[in-house]
Amino acid sequence: MTAITATQAPSRTSRFAKNRARELTGKTGWTVLGWVVGIAFFLPVLWMVITAFKPESAAETWPPQFVFKPTLAQFRLVFSGMGPFLEHSAIATVGSTILVLLLAIPAAYALAIRPVKHWRDGLFFFISTKMLPIVAAIGPLYVIALKTHLLDSIWVLIILYAAMNLPLAIWMIRSFMLEVPTEMLEAARLDGAGRIREMSEVIMPVVVPGIVSTALICVIFAWNELFLAINLTVTNAATMPMFLISSVPQEGLYIAHLSAAATVASVPVIIVGWIAQRSLVRGLSMGAIK
Amino acid sequence: MTIIQDVVSPPVAQIGPRGVSRRESWQRRLPLLPALIYTIVVTQIPFLFTLWYSFQHYFWNEPGGAHWIGVSNYKEVFTDANFRSAVVKSVTMTAIAVIVAMLLGVALAVMLDKKFFGRGIVRTLIITPFLVMPAAAALVWAGPMLDPNFGLVNWLLQPFGIHHVAWLSNHAYGSVVLVMIWQWTPFMTLIVLAGLQGQASDVLEAAKVDGASAWATFRELTFPHLRPYIELGILLGSIYLVNAFDQVRLMTNGGPGTETTTLPFFLYQKVNYAFDVGGAAAAGVVTVILTIIVASFALRMFARVFQFEEAR
Amino acid sequence: MAAVNYVAASRVYAKGAPPAVDALDLDIKDGEFMVLVGPSGSGKTTALRMLAGLEPLDGGRIEIAGRDVSDVQPKDRDIAMVFQNYALYPSKTVAENMGFALKMQHVPRDERARRVREAARLLELDDKLLDRKPKALSGGQRQRVAMGRAIVREPQVFLMDEPLSNLDAKLRVQTRSQIAELQRRLGITTVYVTHDQVEAMTMGHRVAVLADGKLQQCDTPRQLYDNPVNQFVAGFIGSPAMNLQTVPLTESGVRLAGTVIRLPTAVRTAASQADLREIVLGIRPEHLHLADGVGELHAEVMLVGTDGAELTGEVLLVEELGADALLHVRLADGGGSVVTRTEGRKAPVPGQQVRFRVQPADVFAFHPVTGARLAG
Repeated sequence: MTAITATQAPSRTSRFAKNRARELTGKTGWTVLGWVVGIAFFLPVLWMVITAFKPESAAETWPPQFVFKPTLAQFRLVFSGMGPFLEHSAIATVGSTILVLLLAIPAAYALAIRPVKHWRDGLFFFISTKMLPIVAAIGPLYVIALKTHLLDSIWVLIILYAAMNLPLAIWMIRSFMLEVPTEMLEAARLDGAGRIREMSEVIMPVVVPGIVSTALICVIFAWNELFLAINLTVTNAATMPMFLISSVPQEGLYIAHLSAAATVASVPVIIVGWIAQRSLVRGLSMGAIK
Repeated sequence: MTIIQDVVSPPVAQIGPRGVSRRESWQRRLPLLPALIYTIVVTQIPFLFTLWYSFQHYFWNEPGGAHWIGVSNYKEVFTDANFRSAVVKSVTMTAIAVIVAMLLGVALAVMLDKKFFGRGIVRTLIITPFLVMPAAAALVWAGPMLDPNFGLVNWLLQPFGIHHVAWLSNHAYGSVVLVMIWQWTPFMTLIVLAGLQGQASDVLEAAKVDGASAWATFRELTFPHLRPYIELGILLGSIYLVNAFDQVRLMTNGGPGTETTTLPFFLYQKVNYAFDVGGAAAAGVVTVILTIIVASFALRMFARVFQFEEAR
Repeated sequence: MAAVNYVAASRVYAKGAPPAVDALDLDIKDGEFMVLVGPSGSGKTTALRMLAGLEPLDGGRIEIAGRDVSDVQPKDRDIAMVFQNYALYPSKTVAENMGFALKMQHVPRDERARRVREAARLLELDDKLLDRKPKALSGGQRQRVAMGRAIVREPQVFLMDEPLSNLDAKLRVQTRSQIAELQRRLGITTVYVTHDQVEAMTMGHRVAVLADGKLQQCDTPRQLYDNPVNQFVAGFIGSPAMNLQTVPLTESGVRLAGTVIRLPTAVRTAASQADLREIVLGIRPEHLHLADGVGELHAEVMLVGTDGAELTGEVLLVEELGADALLHVRLADGGGSVVTRTEGRKAPVPGQQVRFRVQPADVFAFHPVTGARLAG
């Protein structure tokens, strides 16, 4: 073991410092790029929120104003007008999501734990309903709704949104249930647990976070839905997207007011989405990707 | 010692898996039934009605209700240039949006895979377009962003010598596709990112030791690994985008003329402006058939995606 | 010449944290099979990765064939590595896996195919496996493909990171000898990391024992076994492990199980120079010779005479190994418990009282605080 003189090898601290410096410069490059891209994508949303605080006179100018006297006037207008719409959206969203969960959890159980014989066919059936365009049936749907007195009632939305989200929920919850360790189920079975016990004491505790994220994804899709709402409701069940449309008048200045309405309409879902970020991929890919 | 082949006696019954009892079978089916029945009732019955109405003459601004006219609605659909144009528009818009969104998605995913300061926040910023209510996105782009006189985009493009473009009048098709891309790139990014993060780090190290440059590693290893994710993203994106309605209705209302009239919008028009339930139904049936053809390819791809998970 | 030198090489993960590898000095000769062994966290894998270029050096330097490669990219170091989980390219066939590095070096296709076939033959990989993807292979086959990928490159140094740890026991023993023989045939300098001291002892020309990022001892297996430099090496090398007990010093030696075991003068001097009241005593299982009628086979015991100490105890457990048996014995007088080895067929039974003879020359003495070997 020969002694190393200071000239032969760089001291530990200087090499360490050099490595850290190199890492840092690499990181900085990506940081700049990342933030530029992030802001670019976020810009329209940011602009929407900024414009919502403008008085109309400052919203339709050239060049666009970045410095102005912010006002809450637009928001006040929005809040005063959106009451019923908000209520309808909330009921339709929450109602359809509860219905979805009630149907999807047992179905996912039947397709994951103790699977039905033709579980593959079952899963494919559900996803095929998602692939068929609802737009094709909108005429008859209108007529059916009319004849069953469900037209312009909140129930038509609850029923249809549930049907819209059901395949997604089943696939997603199923993928969460598949993560329950087999050993836990076998141990419970050995201990004599029946189906109910198995469900409540073994499966649910593991799956509850997954169910919450599934619910959040369903909420996002139901809240944002426009096509069915615009065709099947008028006033008694009109939802937030409809409120947005109504804030675009035939004439007059409206940009700031529209931005405020858009902000209020979008913010709840954006926040939900940020919270459920981790499960977004799983939800969107129908549970195929974790 | 010779072994005589036994060709005389009947084969011994093979031992095979017994499977579950009948009672157990039904017990297993039970939890599935509510969802199954609900879906069948709510999704299939409307389509049966659609089929029924497609053979009827039914305009609801006319008194008298519906009466049978056989296949003449279908003849109309197939001879209607607008229908054909709507199909073409839907296909091309979806294809362009999906492909561009995927290309951007791969690039963004690669970027988000690297560690840098504030990566989590940037990621949150990037996924926001997807979460914005499509109706809100459409209206915000149509107004504050793309308006020829006070839109932000025109102001941002000034340094590049572009002045006061009337996006929605002169570039309607591109504008709608742009918004679709803006909203769906995050979706593609997240799916590809999941794929990137699922790559084993030691495989990448092995490539480093084997002398692969960053580009060679991506080309030879990462890209084949990402293929199923990319395919899934394109598949799902297409399914969602081909039915997209909000952007067309709120930005251009199908125009100018029929420049941005996609299939969903065409059907909407038939029902709401022409009040032609029969015609819309026939067009709807044709749409469904076209979709089934495409979807069967899609389902086969989905079967491959099944390799991501196993059955119990 | 492809000798490898670690010169005061260090790796620190965070400022102020204890180094993962602490000023490692190690000289590996050209063509040598050097094994880095140690428990998890000892820094052996980190040291290997530093040699590969997968971890940066935070101090010192590393040389390959006399050239300082500390800042050189992995691909320019002319090394090949076998990873613990094989790290095979999942989207490529076996042949493509093995030929990948050559492809990166722009070796023409025919030459690539030839070298891949040669390596496959060397590793007894069937030709029809060449077109399969890794997921269609068994664990043992994957391991061989991983080795093939390294061999094909004909590098200056082979690096192996616990390549046998994912194989089942029988396959492990088989592959162990195959690897050792392969290395002998190819003559390429090999640095091999394992936590299994049996692998280290059977495969290495020399073995470097690491603990807590520091090199404990680097020697031939025989030297490590017979002359451990500290308590850690003594207890780590050898299976079953050396019996280690803290015992009080007496005038002529140490007291254990009510008996005095004499110590060589040099050791006693070293102990008193260090002002010690007690030491850690080490006795290998095979040096505790069963002295009763049952199992008295070692002729040397007859010659022990008065020098050898006699210990008594009660057998707690007998582990049958076939040819041998391991006895777990609780020594008399609170002397703790020891493990000894005896011939299988004539082993005593649990509960039986037994007597041992042990030679002072066979005994090791370690400093109770630093663990360093006293004299010896």
